[in-house]
Amino acid sequence: MEDLRILDDAHAVAARKEVYRVTIILSVLTIIELALGYSMVNMSEQSFSRHLIKGIILILMLAKAFYIVAYFMHLKHEIRNLIMTIVLPLGLFIWFIIAFLADGNSFRELRNKYAPYDQESNIPVQQKVHGEHEKGTIELKKAVE
Amino acid sequence: MSTTTATATTKWWSGGKSPFNVEYGKIMMWYFLMSDTFTFGALLISYGTTRFATQGWPDPNHVFNSFPGLGSGYPLLFVSLMTFILILSSVTMVLAVQAGQNMNKKGVVINLIFTIIGGLAFLSCQAWEWTHLFHEGAWWGRNPFINADGTQSTTNFTNFFFTITGFHGFHVFSGVVINVIMLIMALNNTFEKKGHYLMIEKAGLYWHFVDLVWVFVFTCFYLV
Amino acid sequence: MSNEIALGAGAGLSTELASEHHEHHEHHQSFITKYIFSTDHKMISKQFLITGIIWAFLGGLMSVLFRLQLGYPDSHFYWLQDVLGKFWVEDGRITPQAYYALVTIHGTVMVFFVLTAGLSGTFANFLIPLQIGARDMASPFMNMLSYWFFLAAGLVMLSSLFVETGPFSGGWVAYAPLSALRDASPGSKSGMDLWLISIILFVVSSLLGGLNYIATILNMRTKGMSMTRLPLTIWALFFTAVIGVLSFPVLFSGFILLIFDRNFGTSFYLSDIFINGVGALPNEGGTAILYQHLFWFLGHPEVYIVLLPAMGMASEIMSVNARKPIFGYMAMIGSLFAICILSFLVWAHHMFVSGLNPFVGSVFVLLTLLIAVPSAIKVFNWLTTLWRGNIRFTPGMLFTIGFVSLFISGGLTGIWLGDSALDIHLHDTYFVIAHFHLVMGVASMFGMFAGIYHWFPKMYGRYMNNTLAYIHFWITLAGAYLIFWPMHYEGLAGMPRRYYDYSSWESFKQFAELNRFISTVVIITFATQLLFIFNFFYSIFKGRKVTTKNPWGANTLEWTTPINPGHGNWEGEIPEVHRWAYDYNKDGREFIPQTEPVGADESQH
Repeated sequence: MEDLRILDDAHAVAARKEVYRVTIILSVLTIIELALGYSMVNMSEQSFSRHLIKGIILILMLAKAFYIVAYFMHLKHEIRNLIMTIVLPLGLFIWFIIAFLADGNSFRELRNKYAPYDQESNIPVQQKVHGEHEKGTIELKKAVE
Repeated sequence: MSTTTATATTKWWSGGKSPFNVEYGKIMMWYFLMSDTFTFGALLISYGTTRFATQGWPDPNHVFNSFPGLGSGYPLLFVSLMTFILILSSVTMVLAVQAGQNMNKKGVVINLIFTIIGGLAFLSCQAWEWTHLFHEGAWWGRNPFINADGTQSTTNFTNFFFTITGFHGFHVFSGVVINVIMLIMALNNTFEKKGHYLMIEKAGLYWHFVDLVWVFVFTCFYLV
Repeated sequence: MSNEIALGAGAGLSTELASEHHEHHEHHQSFITKYIFSTDHKMISKQFLITGIIWAFLGGLMSVLFRLQLGYPDSHFYWLQDVLGKFWVEDGRITPQAYYALVTIHGTVMVFFVLTAGLSGTFANFLIPLQIGARDMASPFMNMLSYWFFLAAGLVMLSSLFVETGPFSGGWVAYAPLSALRDASPGSKSGMDLWLISIILFVVSSLLGGLNYIATILNMRTKGMSMTRLPLTIWALFFTAVIGVLSFPVLFSGFILLIFDRNFGTSFYLSDIFINGVGALPNEGGTAILYQHLFWFLGHPEVYIVLLPAMGMASEIMSVNARKPIFGYMAMIGSLFAICILSFLVWAHHMFVSGLNPFVGSVFVLLTLLIAVPSAIKVFNWLTTLWRGNIRFTPGMLFTIGFVSLFISGGLTGIWLGDSALDIHLHDTYFVIAHFHLVMGVASMFGMFAGIYHWFPKMYGRYMNNTLAYIHFWITLAGAYLIFWPMHYEGLAGMPRRYYDYSSWESFKQFAELNRFISTVVIITFATQLLFIFNFFYSIFKGRKVTTKNPWGANTLEWTTPINPGHGNWEGEIPEVHRWAYDYNKDGREFIPQTEPVGADESQH
């Protein structure tokens, strides 16, 4: 561990430059994200452009995550073995996310199909009738069974 | 850590040395963070699943649109401030780690202080935001906001918001505590005596992880 | 937590330094530092083992109690009422509430405390440093904490048996809404609070342990001990730790949401619920399936956490006692790795009839059936290892062979259950009970017994009694099959699990005799386990002493340590490793220890 001391100055300066570079990249990405988020303010909820923007924001999110892990957490400068043991398990998230979200989506569709009066969206604000709900419960349970 | 000038022919896995060229504490920290990634991942995926299973969802631009002293009508402004605070505190943490690698005690101390200030500032922002939302009627189990299409919204919007940002805030808090301990140890010359600042690197990993999680929480709750 | 990690920095690589440090400490250890707050991995492993045995006894006793109800539903056991009290037994019969509580706590205790902590806690702690050639774990302090969190988890769970409303009674899976609503059942009140605290403590324990195992295996192997020279036990324990570190946090997240549902009025898992006597609940918008997803994202890897250590130990013990190299060493590692990956991709096969999307379900069927491939590879490798071996039927070897047998019998029915169409009929029947008890419950138990009999000489410097061990083996093996084999038929006939009393169903009356038979065998088999417990504790103090360093003629490093190794394991230098662990019957020699340099005229393995 002694040779940590004798890291040459050039290396230290380069490392610091890298930090500043990454800071600027992260800031720029964040500003783009915010601008995109702001552009959605009056867009309709289900429009294609809104979904597209959300997709772009998610990609930018992953880019930011990459910069933080690779440079701030120094992973890019570790040796390859370590990088692989960190990155490969993250692959488990692919199926984790797909299966969970697909099933969540399916749950909504099943509910719309078998208990159509139970949708929250059909209930206008301030006119929520509780009796309606209980009936819906019974129907839904029957439908599930 | 003694073989930084390793050549490509080094047999990393042959035993008697670390295959990753790092000491075990750092390996443990990395894998602990992997584990924590799954904790946060599961929470955010649950949030996504519930959102997919729900008819409508409030528009974050209409919910999070207040700024202290300015009132409402400024979507994303306050959360941008929080994001930049956290990114900057992450930057000072990297600088502290680098100062530690150069055995520069003064650099470590100054940058750690900046990091701690950043962490506390972030926590204060979160406290203000929670208080503000609470006064608007939002809390666990209470959701005053309506869906983007004007219909009744489920309480799961606020439930997930408070649970996940709260869990993240708890991580920020513990990160600040760890950094304060690091600062005290640095001031006491503990690391100088040890001959290395490796602990700062591990604390740094944790702090960057907190920042990393915020990238995801910020995107999932405030942007999409 | 990061503090503890950081505190021991630097000790990882300098094993030489650590050795001197330890040797001088040996003499002035008080009782407390040696036996209670010990940081020696061998002592911690014994702590895990004995705590695990106590929990196995309690968990087994619970199964005897609820089998009494199932086997003898019309009998009255008034003496039990005197022993256990009114909550548990009324009018000489186990009360319904107590029955569900017993089933729940039996499951929880067996899966988490016995087969996770008791199995991988014991053998990971004991074998990792000894077999890779390390003085101790990477962080002995964290290792100690791991045990203490486990003990605390156990004590909290134990205390839940004594609360007024009884322990949690909604099944070990703790599905919402039974687990999420206090009013759902008596056991959902403070019993569930304690259950949750206990399991969260257990997650912390398993995380502390798992990180330690991984860091130790990666960083602290002795010179020459490359990853492909590791004994298969270590590979199995490594993957077990990896699975634990990645899957327990998901359960933890699920529990965080559950705690909010229980205490803070959220509805993550709740929607449209009406409770008798309470009325309609205000909770809207959640889905109970989300809880099931989160639970089984841990729950399925968990069965491999339970099974992999048994697989690893079986491979090692089998090779030693068949006096043959393990067949297909790399294939064994590859299949362990494949199981490790696949274990994360198949969780929803527990939920085919929960309302899971059928298309998503079909993908899960495909992924589930893929597990048959690595499992089959392992089975064939074990069988070919036995083939033409010069087998020594030590108790450890018998239990290993029993493990393989049970793994095959239980594993084959997994193919049925993994099929979503068949599962509609078989789900939640006794078929499922038979399947998972054989393949993961009893099989892992056999792995554990094999490990205990095989490494007992290393743990305590004495042998266990062979005669008692043989009786234990044969009755347990016969018992396991006699208990669980008939359950397949009950399940195929549609008999559901978790029912208190089947006598009111015309279709299941035919099984009354069979149920009584099963319960009788349960009592006999449980009594035989007491024989094992007696043998274990008796042999610690009075067993025949081990006189040679290497009683089994094994190749691995733990048999190069002194008969009673001190803290630090080796006197003097840690041995260097020159070969893999499975050079048995090679070049005319019965076994060649790993420490022996490869000779010039030696044939390649």
